[in-house]
Amino acid sequence: MKRNLVTTIVAAALIVIFAMLLFSFQVRQSEVAVVTTFGKPVGNITEPNLYFKWPWPIQKIYKFDNRVQNFEDRFSENQTRDQITILTSVYIGWRISDGQRFLQVFKNGSVPAAQQMLEVMLRSAKNAVIASNELSGFVNSDPQQLKFEEIENKIKMAVQTQLSTNNVGINIEFLGFKKIGLPESVTQTVFDRMKSERQSIIVANQSLGDSEAMKIKSTAERQAAETISKASAEAIQIRAAGEAEAAKTFAIFQQNPELANFLLRIDAWKQSLNQHSTLIFDERYPPFDLFKYLPTNSMTK
Amino acid sequence: MERNTQKNGLINLAVTVMVFIAAFAVTVLANSLAGEAASVFLGIGALVAFASWFQMRLEENERLEKLEIEEMARAKGESALFESKESEVFPARRSREQFEKFFVPGFAVLLFLLEAGGAYLLWQWTGKSTADIASAHAMPALSLFAIFALVLFLIGRFSVTIARLGNHRLLRPSASFLLAGAYICFFTALGIAGVKIEFPKADFWVARALCILLGLMAAEILLTLLLEIYRPRIKGKITRPLYDSRVIGLLGQPESLFTTAAQTLDYQFGFKVSETWFFQMLKQNLPALLLAQLVILLLSTCVVFVEPGEQAVLEHFGKPVAMLDAGAHFKLPLPLDNIYRYSTEQIQTLYVGFTPGVDEAQTILWTIAHNQEQNFLVGNRLTAAVQKELGESSDALKAPPISLITVSIPVQFQITNVMQWAYANADATRLLADVASREVVKFLAGEDLKDILSHTRLGAGQELQARIQSAANARKLGAKILFVGLQDIHPPTPIAADYENVVGSFQKMIATTNNAAADAIRTNTLAGAMAFSAVNVAEASRIQLQTVARANVALFTNQIPAFQAAPSVYEQRAYFEAFADATKNARKYVLLVTNTQDVLIFDLEDKIRTDLLNVNPE
Repeated sequence: MKRNLVTTIVAAALIVIFAMLLFSFQVRQSEVAVVTTFGKPVGNITEPNLYFKWPWPIQKIYKFDNRVQNFEDRFSENQTRDQITILTSVYIGWRISDGQRFLQVFKNGSVPAAQQMLEVMLRSAKNAVIASNELSGFVNSDPQQLKFEEIENKIKMAVQTQLSTNNVGINIEFLGFKKIGLPESVTQTVFDRMKSERQSIIVANQSLGDSEAMKIKSTAERQAAETISKASAEAIQIRAAGEAEAAKTFAIFQQNPELANFLLRIDAWKQSLNQHSTLIFDERYPPFDLFKYLPTNSMTK
Repeated sequence: MERNTQKNGLINLAVTVMVFIAAFAVTVLANSLAGEAASVFLGIGALVAFASWFQMRLEENERLEKLEIEEMARAKGESALFESKESEVFPARRSREQFEKFFVPGFAVLLFLLEAGGAYLLWQWTGKSTADIASAHAMPALSLFAIFALVLFLIGRFSVTIARLGNHRLLRPSASFLLAGAYICFFTALGIAGVKIEFPKADFWVARALCILLGLMAAEILLTLLLEIYRPRIKGKITRPLYDSRVIGLLGQPESLFTTAAQTLDYQFGFKVSETWFFQMLKQNLPALLLAQLVILLLSTCVVFVEPGEQAVLEHFGKPVAMLDAGAHFKLPLPLDNIYRYSTEQIQTLYVGFTPGVDEAQTILWTIAHNQEQNFLVGNRLTAAVQKELGESSDALKAPPISLITVSIPVQFQITNVMQWAYANADATRLLADVASREVVKFLAGEDLKDILSHTRLGAGQELQARIQSAANARKLGAKILFVGLQDIHPPTPIAADYENVVGSFQKMIATTNNAAADAIRTNTLAGAMAFSAVNVAEASRIQLQTVARANVALFTNQIPAFQAAPSVYEQRAYFEAFADATKNARKYVLLVTNTQDVLIFDLEDKIRTDLLNVNPE
């Protein structure tokens, strides 16, 4: 009897729970719910609370996140007005503004299907807007020339207009560039140009170094030559002064010119001989005239 | 009683088939992995129920046939009866025997193939499937699986009791499958409920558990088939049907575990543990205990402990009604009240421009790629200036005045407004990362490469922090940006070496200039020395000249009296002294003219140097 009571309680509890699950549903603050009766949408529920419903298949509840949802499109190639190819990726924030319409437009209210449709619209709008702007609007060393907000707003407006026209129950809240890049081939050419810039700086530095070195060396050589020439001139002056001083003694030699000349000749003679000189004398020249008195010579004679 | 059993078997078959079809339809509608696996179980259960019911019919026919033959035997006498062949006399028995001999093993093999194949394919399929449970159909699917569980449980429980009390071995397989099916449907409903309450993998894990169960059943039936080959055949002994799974029996009748456990305990302790009051109490009150446990579990959801550094949003029927700080709090049980926790004090980090990874390098160099870095576009004032200078007609205008740069920027933030963080955006963390990326892209796009690598870098972090904070506020993210660090900003790796070479070229330029300065110093110093030397030499020469002149004057003054005293002798003496001194080292030849018979030839030419003769004739 006790076991039956427990079993009955368990069964009753389960039935109550299942009944609650079948006949009621909750809507969260972050959700919007759409109730359908025999497949026909009967309204949006946006206020968070507990609600009652008829069980499936009479009524069905579709719940959607009514917060801002964001996704980014693929990093895709676009051409600017000045014929430059860039890669861009845009993130977009969107919100389900009309759950009932959203459910009707997208099968079972599929969010991936909605994002797929948004991505198609986004890519089309993005290509059109980028093609009407020059690269300088995206990248510019002068920040005043950038047109980021303007371009983003144009893309957003283009997508929003399309969504409003189609009335799909979606609003675009914001849109922004997440990535801007260059295709691989263009990236390589930019790398090459950046390398060439560096190379020009390297060559400039080398040339500047060589130029400075040459200037320093030539200045030094000029200064050295100047110093040496000054010194040479001074040396000549000193020598001249010495010569002038020595010349004052010539008057003394005039007291006996014969002796002076003789001594000068003797001195010149001494100066002109060196160890490689070869002298040939005969017996008539003193002091070798002494040989003529040798006996050997006399006998021969 | 036998007739009732057969009816039970038919009811079991009908219920299993209906629930299988309904469960399969719900599964397709809701796209539930666990539902798919449960449908496979129920399908196999339907086959087993059909086989057992069919075998029951054969045994029933055999029993009726036996009664009829016995009746006829009593009427006509036994002798005539046993003259004909047994197979001709007992066709129903013969059919039953043929069924058990051929169909049952074949059916067991089929079950093995279905179970093993089902386990393998389900495992593969659950691993590859990326589709989520259809949100709109989750709740109906949950409810329906719960109803299936209830129906299967009630009927299965009834059948199991009848099978146990009447010892109807052929009713047991379908009854066990009904009960096991009830539990499987219940767990499937739990899996779907788990997905509904933010455990998205619950459905997947229930499906995986059912795959394992299918695999176990396949292994069991294979083992049974192998043992069947060596089983001794004893005439008259009633055997367990091959398709009657012990695994399913255990799953369907968990109370049999008590019997097994009691026997084991009795054997281990040496006395009847199973007869103690505690064991009996557990055995008798198991459903009540389980119910009490469920109630306690439900009550436990009325208390919530918010950890330090966390804040929780309390939702009542989906409406946020309170913000809970760290500590213990009371609330209504699930699903009336729910809480959602957020780490508000914890500093969280997201990364812009790179994906952090394990980088064990002790030295971080521009020239070696680290982490997964991303290139950003940055302005190039130098190229723009060149283009402007060249004029509009130049081809150089076609080259974009841009450069590329690599940056690694960690962004640290805290959640300051949980309501905004939780309810304004579906994925606030991702949006903050997108917003931060956008601000970095925009900031760098307006900078000059040279500037950002040098003097504007210092203020860039603060500027970016302000910009990201402003953008986060505009998006109602409820986050405070604590720090934006330009931890790494450099030219992209492929051209980093060229930037380093520029630094090297500056050093080389300075070295070249320094070398030239050293040469200049040497040149000037040597020139100074040479000048000094020249002046000194000249001075020495002057002094020598003057001194010699004075000495010569003195000598001459003294020589005059000597000369005047004996002019010829003085001259001769002076001549010979000079001659001796001057010709001391000279070669001298003295010709004696009296020797007229010999002819002397002097070769007074200096010999030419030998090295000058070694000239190449060509």
